[in-house]
Amino acid sequence: MTFRSLALSNVRGNWRAYSAFLLSSVFSVLIFYLYAAFLFHPDVMKGDIKGAAQVKQGMLACEFLIMIFSFFFVLYSNSAFMKTRKKEFGLFTLFGMTRGQIRKMVLYEGAFIALLSIAAGIGLGMLFSKLFFLALSVLLNSGETIPFAVPPIALWLTAAGFFVLFMAITSLTLLRVGRSQIVELLREARKPKPEPRLSVIAVVTGILTLAGGYALALSMNARTFLILTLPVVALTVIGTYFLFSQGSVAVLRLLMRRKRFYYNRTHMLTVSQLVYKMKDNARLLFVISVMSAVVLSASGTVYVFQKLQKEQIVEHAPYAVGFVERGANTHEVINPATVEQIVQSDGLRMTRRVKLTGLLGEGIMSDDAAAAGSGSNRDRLEAMIVSQSDYNREAKLLGREKAKVAAGEAVLVLPYKEMESYSPLKIGAIRFTLGGQPVKLKLTDQLTGAVVSPVSYATYMLVVDDARYEALRASAPPQSALVSYGFEWSNWEHSGPAVEKIEDAIDPAHEDQAQTYRVPSYISTQQSIVLTLFIGLFISLLFFIAMGSLIYFKLFTELQDDQTQFKALSRIGMTAAEIRRIVVTQVGLVFLLPCLVGSVHALFAIQALGNLLQASILKYAAVVFAIYIVMQALYFAVTCTTYLRSIRSGGRTATE
Amino acid sequence: MYVLKTQGLSKVYGAKGGIAYHALDQIDLSVEKGEFVGIMGPSGSGKTTLLNLLATIDKPTSGTLEIGGTDPVRLSERDIALFRRRELGFVFQDFNLLDTLPIKENIILPLVLEGAKPAVIEQKLKPIADLLGISGILSKRTYEVSGGQKQRAAIARAIIHQPSLLLADELTGNLDSKSAKDVMNALRDLNERLSATVLLVTHDPFSASYCKRVLFIKDGKLFSEIRRGANRQAFFQQILDALSVLGGNFDDVPFARA
Repeated sequence: MTFRSLALSNVRGNWRAYSAFLLSSVFSVLIFYLYAAFLFHPDVMKGDIKGAAQVKQGMLACEFLIMIFSFFFVLYSNSAFMKTRKKEFGLFTLFGMTRGQIRKMVLYEGAFIALLSIAAGIGLGMLFSKLFFLALSVLLNSGETIPFAVPPIALWLTAAGFFVLFMAITSLTLLRVGRSQIVELLREARKPKPEPRLSVIAVVTGILTLAGGYALALSMNARTFLILTLPVVALTVIGTYFLFSQGSVAVLRLLMRRKRFYYNRTHMLTVSQLVYKMKDNARLLFVISVMSAVVLSASGTVYVFQKLQKEQIVEHAPYAVGFVERGANTHEVINPATVEQIVQSDGLRMTRRVKLTGLLGEGIMSDDAAAAGSGSNRDRLEAMIVSQSDYNREAKLLGREKAKVAAGEAVLVLPYKEMESYSPLKIGAIRFTLGGQPVKLKLTDQLTGAVVSPVSYATYMLVVDDARYEALRASAPPQSALVSYGFEWSNWEHSGPAVEKIEDAIDPAHEDQAQTYRVPSYISTQQSIVLTLFIGLFISLLFFIAMGSLIYFKLFTELQDDQTQFKALSRIGMTAAEIRRIVVTQVGLVFLLPCLVGSVHALFAIQALGNLLQASILKYAAVVFAIYIVMQALYFAVTCTTYLRSIRSGGRTATE
Repeated sequence: MYVLKTQGLSKVYGAKGGIAYHALDQIDLSVEKGEFVGIMGPSGSGKTTLLNLLATIDKPTSGTLEIGGTDPVRLSERDIALFRRRELGFVFQDFNLLDTLPIKENIILPLVLEGAKPAVIEQKLKPIADLLGISGILSKRTYEVSGGQKQRAAIARAIIHQPSLLLADELTGNLDSKSAKDVMNALRDLNERLSATVLLVTHDPFSASYCKRVLFIKDGKLFSEIRRGANRQAFFQQILDALSVLGGNFDDVPFARA
């Protein structure tokens, strides 16, 4: 009993150092349990939940990820923790505690921490599982809510899995405890820090590899992507390592040499202490930077895809619902009034309705092709012929490029931006028939991006000058007339039912003349992306908390040294404000530097992705980065406050 | 002209509900510019409390304190810190040098914090380093030099900004006898050549014998005072005699150093 209470009071005494570690452990257990509870939920096991299958694979992968990550995280934290307690173990040995007893004590402590985090994690997991299920059933669109349940398998798997993990790591650390001599143990904490060494070659290597990695990343295209990815990652990782281990010291040394800066009030203390802090923490900062970069790139990519998909779908389908009819006012597809009525009855507000009249040009081909005698249908196009003023009016509405057509000329409009390099018609003389009558025009240009729903007859568009259009219209038979309707309403992103009703009302014989896919395809892709985001969010959060706790822990192991230093400094007349300035700068750099470096890495990764997708996606990625930096800043603020408070309180320290 | 003047300075601990403990009781003390004063007393006599009050890191329960014409008790916390930095110099038993800085930068720290120009800093550093005999180790790190050198560096740090009063707390406590001698000689030189005012708190008679005047306190009260004649050896003997009258526990530091 006394032995156990000793272990317990050890944990209590080291509470400040343990707390961040415990928080991350609890969070790992919590997320692991949440996923497990879903995976082993009776309804999911029976297959009652619609769409559960599409997330099960992802979740299972995440479970493994959490376990692997937790293993390394706990291993690192534990061994770092044992290092800081060497003096304590030395004292225990001095008082006659045997090696076996110390091991027993460490084992008890480990078990205590394990049980605490497992209990707290599972407890919180049960508490949040209802909420988690609720969110999932909404995202899965399964219709019914997933009932609250505590699947025993999930419970046992989580508890046993983490207990084994914790105890295995504790046993691993036990191997290292009690090997050294007492004197060494006692002296460990007081070892003076040697001055960090600096190698010019390493600094240059770091800069070169990093620059090389970035340059390669930006030069990637679809063809070189597969070959270059690995070198890019390797170069960046190596560069980051040198950046922290050598680059940081090099920069600080440079600052030290600039006497005017260095001898300016608190700068001397801040910089000289940072040299040691950076050197000591180089490996940790490196790991955190790389981890930040991975998490940021991954979540940035998913987010970017979500945004891009919307952009692209709106680009491809300029109207939520659009259709093209032959002949004026035939309403062979659907009566526009019906669309209005359905939309209105669903409580949506129509924001734009478009009616564009045109003529059907058939068998469009260039004179060259005609002369070559290829009369096959492949080379012939069907297009909606519209007047320049009509076209430009619609183009202006959608923010597309205007067409410039002189008399006797025509401009071809292709439906999608991606078709830029495709030219179905050669620039030059073209011919086609309109209601059986041959027409000849000169094609001068081609544009991309439809201004009406590009379906059926209206897939391509031929813009002609207003006078020619009038002449053509006057001579064309009524059945050559085309009318394209387009409807856009507010909140179309969530108007699945309305679109379904419209689809039902469309004449099946003419359904290929209507474009209604925008809303349903948007909804279905969004769902899978949101699910990915949702599941990934927890993992990102876990990484984030763990990274923060690593820094937090590191800072608090240095606390004791800092405390004596600041105590001495305040005795010789350093004001509280000056001490705060020094601490904030130092802690801030240790926190924000990896965050910044990680962001820059991710920025280049995202930019490379943007180059691959030929889209500008930085603005979307910036949102993710901003959130991350804000969160990290919050963590920093909390740590800084706690840190300053413990420095001021002086006596109570992390290891006393 | 008085550099330090206290009247009825008292410090009472733990009055709340429990028994009040008078750590310092009605201390009247005055130190003139250029004096080298030692304060001695057995363990628990109130030496440290007195030093903390003089160092402005603790506030008296009653009585007045005046250093260089200012009463630090009335200042705000920030101004007290600045006052300490400008008017006082400290030398501690455990050196309190920063491991992260080389000796030189440890010494010039007070000037740097005050925002002095690099040229001025260099100019002030040189004579003091020469006087204390540490010019050769300025670029060394703290763990590369001996205890005596560390303490002389600490003295240089305490004096470089020309404070009105130098407070030294058991400054030879962590040193061997040779180093202690060096350090005390350095302190005496400072006092004599730069006419720095030094207040030394110690219970080591050897260190105290370097002072020109030694005050003895016991149970929080001033007990006696002796002044030095021409001979330090004789003064050392006088101190030993005074201590035997004073009684109390002086075992913490070995005597045989003279």
